[in-house]
Amino acid sequence: METHFYLSLLPEALIVSMLSPEEFGTYYAVGSSKKSRGQAMFFEVDPNYRNPYFHMDEALKRCVPHEDGRPKASIYVSVYRVLEHIDPDALLDLYLTTQDGRTLGLKASDEFPENGSGLHLYQEVVPVTPLVVSRLDAVSFFDLIVKNPTSLISVPAITFAELQLGELSSDPEMGMLNNLPYSNPDHLRQCLSDVKTKYVSTKMVDRTHSPVIPYRTIKNGFFVGNRDKLRYYPMPHADVLRIENYRWFRSANM
Amino acid sequence: MDYQIWLIVGIAGGAISIAVAVYLYFWVLRQDPGSEKAQQVAGWIRSGANTYLKRLYTALASLALVLGIIIALIFSFNFETIGTTGVQIQPGMGVVMAACFIIGALSSAVAGYMGMRVAVEANVRTATAAQKSLQQAFRLSFYAGAVLGLAMVGLAVIGMSLIFMLTKDSHAVLGFSFGASTLALLAKAGGGIYTKTADIAADLVGKVELGIPEDDPRNPAVVADNVGDNVGDVAGMGADIFDSYVASAVAVMILGASFASAMQYKYTVIPLILCTIGTFASLLGIEFVKVKEGGKPGAALNRGTIITCIIYVAALLILSFTKIIDAGIFWSATIGIVTGVIIGFTTDFFTNDQYKPVQETARVSTSGSAITIITGYSYGLISIVPSILGVVVATLLSYNVAVSNGLPGIYGIGVAAVGMLSISGMIVSADAYGPIVDNARGIAEMAGMGQDVIERADVLDSAGNTAKAITKGFSISAAALTVLALFAAYSEVVKANGIDLNISLREPMVIAGVFLGAMTPPLFSALLMLSVTHNAFDMIEEIRRQFHEKPGILAGTEDPDYDRCVGLAAHGALSSLLLPAFLAVGLPLVIGFLLGPNALGGFLGGAIFTGVIFALLMANAGGLWDNAKKFVETGKFGGPGSEAHKAAVVGDTVGDPFKDTAGPSLNTLITVMSLVASLFAPIIAVFHLF
Repeated sequence: METHFYLSLLPEALIVSMLSPEEFGTYYAVGSSKKSRGQAMFFEVDPNYRNPYFHMDEALKRCVPHEDGRPKASIYVSVYRVLEHIDPDALLDLYLTTQDGRTLGLKASDEFPENGSGLHLYQEVVPVTPLVVSRLDAVSFFDLIVKNPTSLISVPAITFAELQLGELSSDPEMGMLNNLPYSNPDHLRQCLSDVKTKYVSTKMVDRTHSPVIPYRTIKNGFFVGNRDKLRYYPMPHADVLRIENYRWFRSANM
Repeated sequence: MDYQIWLIVGIAGGAISIAVAVYLYFWVLRQDPGSEKAQQVAGWIRSGANTYLKRLYTALASLALVLGIIIALIFSFNFETIGTTGVQIQPGMGVVMAACFIIGALSSAVAGYMGMRVAVEANVRTATAAQKSLQQAFRLSFYAGAVLGLAMVGLAVIGMSLIFMLTKDSHAVLGFSFGASTLALLAKAGGGIYTKTADIAADLVGKVELGIPEDDPRNPAVVADNVGDNVGDVAGMGADIFDSYVASAVAVMILGASFASAMQYKYTVIPLILCTIGTFASLLGIEFVKVKEGGKPGAALNRGTIITCIIYVAALLILSFTKIIDAGIFWSATIGIVTGVIIGFTTDFFTNDQYKPVQETARVSTSGSAITIITGYSYGLISIVPSILGVVVATLLSYNVAVSNGLPGIYGIGVAAVGMLSISGMIVSADAYGPIVDNARGIAEMAGMGQDVIERADVLDSAGNTAKAITKGFSISAAALTVLALFAAYSEVVKANGIDLNISLREPMVIAGVFLGAMTPPLFSALLMLSVTHNAFDMIEEIRRQFHEKPGILAGTEDPDYDRCVGLAAHGALSSLLLPAFLAVGLPLVIGFLLGPNALGGFLGGAIFTGVIFALLMANAGGLWDNAKKFVETGKFGGPGSEAHKAAVVGDTVGDPFKDTAGPSLNTLITVMSLVASLFAPIIAVFHLF
């Protein structure tokens, strides 16, 4: 059986598995008899990628089918500082699995989203999970917290998603929230207003925000990178998802 | 004029109506049943519905037999002569009453069963037709609904006309009505408990705990949920309207029978004439319900209702000009039907997301579920106002119109109720369409049909919900007028047995009766809703057990055990009916025999008033919460997954047993209690402790 390496984002971990990405997503989201459940996000990692930080070959040796012939679902290779030790070029597709186990694959794109006007909302996923508002577009935001040597707050690598702000992007005070399900909207408005009117370019909305994202709120897609490279995984438009991945779309829009 | 000819016309009209229903039934069967997968899913639903109905009708057959024997025994004695010649034995009367009772129960069962049969065949065909066009899917589902509507009115008109033609006794038709109502009450309450048990359990575990979308085949309760749409909204509702339809006509027939002998026959037959005209109007009106591709199904349904009303009123006008009916009858019936339609559409104001009540309830959901409940409940209370005003206006107008045309005012009120319900063929057709398209949507989802099919089914389903809300307002208001007429009929029967009712609030027995009556509908509602929560609790445990023991269900590698949930829902619903049935049939008798006819009159008055209030409140508040949730799901106030959505889901769950279990059963409850009182009034007039 073929083996795969997966970089799980919820929680951060490197896993070797004999399941295909769709099977792994279902397994990871809806659980087995052990009943670990919930939304899953993971990258498939190039099977030829090696880093001495991980004992990948040893994990591969242990990843053998069960006695009854069932494929081995997961062997955890590492659960600590995983992202920073993986070269972004080794990351293959990104998979988003809904709470009920439907999986959607996203491919990396060479083109980054256009730098639109207005304010931005970022959900950091790995290695830290705050919800942040910013005047900076995604690439500039990435540069600020990963590449900027003068920044007090920085991380060696990061995965984050830009979330929709709707009318709040241009009008934090009076814009309509409409279909955006964010909790504590008054605080969000205040934070947006602050970055719009004050000196600071970014502001933390929630320091311990859950990285479990309602997929329908994702604006552009996911960004992952370290000091050397940034990769972008664009999210297809809702209309495209509705037509081409209806089951996933329906589950994701719960 | 010889009014007996109208009995033959009635039987002929009923036969035509049934013939059209049978033709439509086979037309539906000839449509494409779809893919193997779709047929498999539909087969699960059909099998579950058949299993439940078999159990329900087996239980009801036993009950009908026992009640039939009791009725046969009681009516074999003439107690009216106890003071003069002693008790006379009249076995023929006993047999006739028991036969009428059983025929009534059977007709009600057949109407519900026919509706359910066509619904479980039409659902998959509607889903398949939706693959081609909205127009075809709408046509198929509406014609399937018309099978129930036309079969119901056909059976009712034939039953009433035939019994009256053979017995010349309106009291025998009362037995027919009592049979229909008893079965309707249990079918409606049982179906309501079944459908909400499955719905709530499927949602709470599937949607809330596991994040599974609606109608997902991995949910073990999904088949029970779809079965519930059929047994609750089709079979139960069919039996329910059958009962109101017959009861309204019977009440007027009894009032007609109290007229001077020269006029007696005519005024006893007149409600049957009105029903017959309504049957023909519905047959014609159904032909106007059509939708073009891209058109609005809701508008087509409303157009059908309005045109049917116009045809009906025009036909009555002709009968009035030709002196077949009096001007007083024409105006009373017209007042009834116009008021019914107005009440139906004002009900829509409180449950449609285009208007303030639903939007406001959705808006306040951003502040949590408590505010959602308070707001929805308050609008539910306000929603009583237009319906009650409608009933008040209809009562006063029809009373005065009748009096000014030389008829007893109460007879005019009864005619207004018959007027409202006489186009039931059309109303029920539109209403039964709802659960069929709801099921079609479920099948499309479970069978993995494309999103375009599901979106078309959503458009059809949305119109079904509006039709359902309108029908509920219509049927509850009609029931209010019906029971007022039945109350008068009860007074006439008691009076015929030598007792003048004295329903004065200065009489302690009357006050006791009023309080006991006022207590009954809330108690009845509580029993039904507690049954739903109790049974839903058991089913939730079963669903969790299946997910726990078979993790492959969620992964899609193992099949859930749908039959377990179907069986649990059926068993729970049937075992919950005993106490509600006693309240409906037994309590009026206990009150009558213990406290006497005056107390029973007070009891009926109390029950009628709280019954109507609670029925309107529950039906409208439940519909409002449901649509407030759907409004949030369209992307308002944060959309799905937001705090507002969570609060709105709580409101919807609270409203589920309100609108689909307790609310719609209450009008049947007060009808059954009024019929029991009228039927047993001759005996209660003789035997009562106080």
